[in-house]
Formats: sequence, C-alpha cells, structure tokens
Amino acid sequence: LGFCSNFKISSVVEALNIQATMAESICRALRDGALDGEHAPALTIKDSIDSPFGPDVFNHILTQLSTNILAGKSQSRGIVLVALSRSPSFYVNLLKSRGYDVASSHKWLRVLDCYTDPLGWKDRLMECGSITNLSPEIQVTVNLCKDVRNLDNLFSSILELGKGLVGQRKNRFSVAIDSVTEMLRHASMSSVAGLLSNLRSHDQVSCEFWLLHSDLHESRATAVLEYMSSMLANVEPITRPTNGQIGNSENLSLLEQKSKRGKFHVRFKRRNGRVRLMSEEFCVEQSGIKFTSISSEEGLITQSLVPKVQFNLQLSEKERIERAKVVLPFEHQGNGKSIQIYDGRQSLNESRTETEPISAEKLQTNEDSGRGEIIYFRDSDDEMPDSDEDPDDDLDI
Amino acid sequence: MAATKTRTSSFSRSAAPSSSIPGLKNGPNGTIFVSSGIPDLDKILGGGFSLGSLVMVMEDTEAPHHMLLLRNFMSQGLVHNHPLLYASPSRDPRAFLGTLPTPVSSKDDKSRDRNTEQEKDLRIAWQYKKYFGEHQQNFEYQRDGKPEYCSDFDLRKPLERHFLSGQCIDCISLQDSPNLATLRDRCSTFLAQLPRRDGNITCAGRIAIQSFCAPQCEYSNMDWDMLSFIRSMKGMVRSSNAVAVLTFPPSLVSSSFSKRLQHLADTLLSVRAIPDEDKELAKLLTGYQDMVGLLNLHKVARINTQVPVILEATTFSIKLQKRRSLVLECLNQAPVDGSSGTSYATTGSCSRSSKTGTLDF
Repeated sequence: LGFCSNFKISSVVEALNIQATMAESICRALRDGALDGEHAPALTIKDSIDSPFGPDVFNHILTQLSTNILAGKSQSRGIVLVALSRSPSFYVNLLKSRGYDVASSHKWLRVLDCYTDPLGWKDRLMECGSITNLSPEIQVTVNLCKDVRNLDNLFSSILELGKGLVGQRKNRFSVAIDSVTEMLRHASMSSVAGLLSNLRSHDQVSCEFWLLHSDLHESRATAVLEYMSSMLANVEPITRPTNGQIGNSENLSLLEQKSKRGKFHVRFKRRNGRVRLMSEEFCVEQSGIKFTSISSEEGLITQSLVPKVQFNLQLSEKERIERAKVVLPFEHQGNGKSIQIYDGRQSLNESRTETEPISAEKLQTNEDSGRGEIIYFRDSDDEMPDSDEDPDDDLDI
Repeated sequence: MAATKTRTSSFSRSAAPSSSIPGLKNGPNGTIFVSSGIPDLDKILGGGFSLGSLVMVMEDTEAPHHMLLLRNFMSQGLVHNHPLLYASPSRDPRAFLGTLPTPVSSKDDKSRDRNTEQEKDLRIAWQYKKYFGEHQQNFEYQRDGKPEYCSDFDLRKPLERHFLSGQCIDCISLQDSPNLATLRDRCSTFLAQLPRRDGNITCAGRIAIQSFCAPQCEYSNMDWDMLSFIRSMKGMVRSSNAVAVLTFPPSLVSSSFSKRLQHLADTLLSVRAIPDEDKELAKLLTGYQDMVGLLNLHKVARINTQVPVILEATTFSIKLQKRRSLVLECLNQAPVDGSSGTSYATTGSCSRSSKTGTLDF
C-alpha cells in the first residue's frame, strides 16, 4: 500500500544500514517498525536439521527488540510472545540470564502460552479430577491458550493482549511467534497465512517475527511464509553436504553442530522492489550468538536475468539536441536563405560527420545555433563543382 | 523504446470510430484497445489491452511491481469513466483505491518527448517535407478537452476524490468466501452490464484481480476450482466489452498448475525483482541505479487473426522517472571497458560480440 510515497525516506534510512551487520540491520528494521498505511515488517527465521540454530537466532532477536523497547528507541511499546514450542518459564530464564528485570516485565511483555495445554487436554483431565493443577509459579504475565487450532480466537487473544499492553490509541506492539512449525501442525496453511497477514495489516502491530523449521514442511509452506514476510533469514551450515557423500556429511554437520557455527543469509525486500542479499557467519556461545561478516568475498551468483541485452541505439536528450543542430548540406527547407551548393572548397557551411546511428526525430531548422561540422578535403582544387549531375527534381536545392 | 510494427491492411472496417468514447482506440483486425495506463507498455503491446482479452501478470514474491501495473490500469479506467471491479485478498480492498495515482496535469512539463508518428527515420532534403505539418495519423493528443487515451500518472499523488465516488466501482475481498462461487457471480453480474453486440459500444469496463492464489484465501489449494473459474471468466470477458487483469504468484502454486494458468492468458506478463547493489549487474546494464525491476512479456493477445506478434525485445526494465512516473525501457548493455578482459557468459548472443573489446559494425 502506497509504498512509493515512502521511497525517499526509506532509502535514506536504509542507506545508513550498509555498515551494520545483517543481524543489526534486521533488528533495526524491526525496531523502526511500520509506516502508516503500510504492512508491518515481518521476519521469517528459517533453519533445518543441518544447522539447527534457529531458536538461538530467535532468542537473540527477541532480546535485542526487548532492549530497544526498554530503551524507548523502538516504535513498538511491547511484545506479545506466542509460545508454542517452549514454555514461558524458558523465556523467564532467558530474560534473567541476559540481565533483564523480570519483575517489571509486565510493562512490556505478555506471553500467550500455547505450550502447556495447546489442545485443552489437561483442562479436561482436571475437570474429571484426574490431575491437579501443576502449573508452576510464573513471574511473567501469562495467558493460557487452550485451543491452538482455532486461529480466529488466537488472533483475537493476541490483539487483546497487545492492546492491554500498549493501550488503545496509536501505540503499537510487536508479535513474536515461537514456532510457526508448531502452528502448522494444528491448523491449515491458509488459516495460518490469514493470521499472519491480518496481524501485519493491523494498524497497532509494529512488527512480527517467527521461526520455521524448513525441513518439517513441504516446500509450498516455506514458499508461502517467505511470501508473507519482508525479511528472510536463513540459518545454514557452513559447508553444504553434497549428495554423494552422505556419510561424510553427517559427520560434517555433527562437527559443525559441536562447534556451533554456521552461515546466516538474509534477504531484505526493500520498499522500492529491490532485494538486498547479505551473508554472515555466526557462532553460538554461552552468552548468546555472535555475528561476524564473511572474510572472503564470495561472488553472488547472478542468475542470467537478462536474456538479451542490446546495444544502446537510443539517443539521450543531450545527444538528440546536438544532432539536431547539425546542418546538413543541401538542406534549407525553404526558409528564405539563398541556395548554396556545397562544393567542398568554400567553407560556408561547415559540418562535422555524425558518428551516431539514426533514429526518428523532429527536424529543427536552426542554422545559427550550435555547431556541427563536416570537414571534406577535395582531391584537388582544380576540380569543378559537381554541376554536371542532374539534380533530382525532388531535391530541395 | 521498442515499438511493434503492427501490419495494417489496406482494408478498414466500416465501423463507427470509437474515438467518441474516451479511452478506446481502434486496433487492427476489428479489435478495440484500452490503455494499460503506462504509455510505454501500450507502445510495446502495439496499442494497449484488447477489449475482451484476459491479461495475466506473474508476480515475483519478493517485489510489489505487479501493484504498480494494477494501480496504473485501475486509475486509467477511472479517469476514463470505465466501470471497475476490483478483487484482492485483503480484508479491506477499498483502502487500496486510496493509493491509485493521479494523472499528471498538462501544465506540468512532460517528462518525455512525444514523438509523432509521421516523422521519418532519415533527414532528407526533400521539398515536400514542408507540407507535412497537417497530416495527423495516429496522433494521440486530443486538444478539445477530452482526456487522452493514455495518461501519464504521477505515482506520488493520489487520485482525486471525485473519480472514486459516484462511479461504478465494486470491490471484493477474496478472503471472505471459502470458494470462488461469489467471485464468479460478481464477475458475471459486472460483465452482464457490458455485453458485446455488433454496432456501437456504449461503455467499456475493467476487472482487476490482485494476487489470485494468495495463501490467505481458503480456496488457494483448490487448483482445479481456480482453473475452472478463470476459464469461465475468460469466456465471459471475451463476449463482453471489458478487459480483465489478473495477477498471481507462480511460486506459490505447483509448476503444472502455473503452466495451465499461463496458457489461459491472452496477454502474459511477468515482473521480477532485481538484487540491490549488485556489482555484476551494474557493470552489465546501463541505468542499473534507476531500475526497480524487470518486466517480461511472454505473450501478446491476438484476436481475430492468426498472425502472431514477434517482438524485438521481451525484457524491459522498470524505472521510476523522477520518482513519479513509470517508464519501461529496453535493456541496454553498458559500454564495455576495452581494457577489461572479463567476459559475461551469462547473457545471450548479443554480448558475445563485445568480448573482443572493440565494437565491430
């Protein structure tokens, strides 16, 4: 919606991102959030068993966004975290370990717990009296979701939590979805796509991001999620296992997993319709994940986008004007000047030969302005001018 | 700019010229054109979109260029008072109408020269040239106050309110219904107002369907239903005075289904994103900095004739001139640096000749 009007602003903003690492660029894009009338930026973090560090990237982005929110630097005032693959207590511990004050987290964080009882089984067992409520004390504000299959309800719960967090007016909140893979287990692709796109187009949502394990889905699901997002972050192993060496590749990826390193590829869909591709390396450590730029410049594969490229046979404006000013011999278009036959000896009208090819154009009869010259050296000065040829009747001489 | 030379026969249909209705132009073989809203695209297609044809645009999931084409198409229709039916997967399709561009007013300087068709390719000192001024075939300006066939749109400014109100504009959200029956019914009622009968045309209409196979729509995995809908819509459009433009993302559907969809189109275009700050492309193409994407023309509608259109060039770059108007240009190779010995093996035959470093003619 209306992306062209924001072109100028965004290009300035994006120009400043060149120096940053990609991870920082992603965090910055999420921090800046959505412009009025536009969809919110959405990030898909994609990993696979070969390099299963997607959750680490997710945690990193979550904590970076939290930092920005607490520092007041971001458009969004709070995060609604939809926890599907890990329990809320995991996130509490994560925040504690990174030094956040969990007690005050209710001001900026809400967790929608879809992990403890996603299908409502414990609820029903409790009704029967079979189990007692064993959910532990949680320091973070948690709302329990008992049916993840109903995405309409999920959507309204997210909105409710978000509005409860930031208020009703123009304030915005971010949405983080722990794992869309889990969501796709319970609901159809079109309803998940509908949920994500409705969140994006809601005017109180500042940004969204989610995690996906690409090898657990058909390629269509991955394609759909890439379609719905404006940034795509791929977590990949450093060396791609080749098909012929399966045994070796398993060892290789195990080694890599132990070393906790991998590659991070990002595709940004810019507002002007161009796609920025960037690559980095990352390393997962105790304290978090660190990104470093790749030392060797790998040339990006330019697919042959351009099947047939022609030579430029067009004239630019400047060239066209210059060419129009050239006065050709025999040409006067009846503008009252006396007829002169150019014979090479007199330097009455001097024109230079043209080297540019010809295209259609309007004639300008402007003998007095700008200069072109044809320099013609006759073989000998004794020759008579070419008057023995019959001039054509049609020629304007 | 590439222009297709449409072969005009010496016979002409004795139908009333449709220049009395704004926005319509007579084409070859008894067809009538409406403008796409983009002057360059009209030239490339040989006049515009034929009435009764189905135009499909294949989207690139990474770029919104199909929206540019749709916006210009819809605005052009509204400027000419053509009834419009717009369907999109968003919950509020009416909101999109607020982003339609407005035509550049004639007081502003035109960004490009308008070449009139009668100019010759060679400048010849020929005494009859002075009689040429009055001959005005294919002259597209109408100075009597009526709107031009194809306006130049300023993408930065929205369309004036009066074009959007009091018009036959119908908007449908594709997310609303679980199947395509409602959409089919709405299209059929819309097209029923514009039947094609021999004789004068009173009105021409436009249908714009955006992101037809979008994943949010519940019918998006019902391949055969979608195909059958498009087949029936194509039939309805062919027998009415309307043009339908439909965009869809081919990467989100299976390749065989995508091929079937492509075969159903009368005119087929595709848009592609280009990588940002790509040094290889910058060296290969002139004007890379201004380009926002690429447009490919796969098929051009040919109605009432067996003669196909053979184009000189099928790939064009999409540029935004002065950030406001859409320009399509042929891809031009950047001047080859004579000192560099690198060869660009990715492009086709045209580039091979330049590898020697000197240009031979």
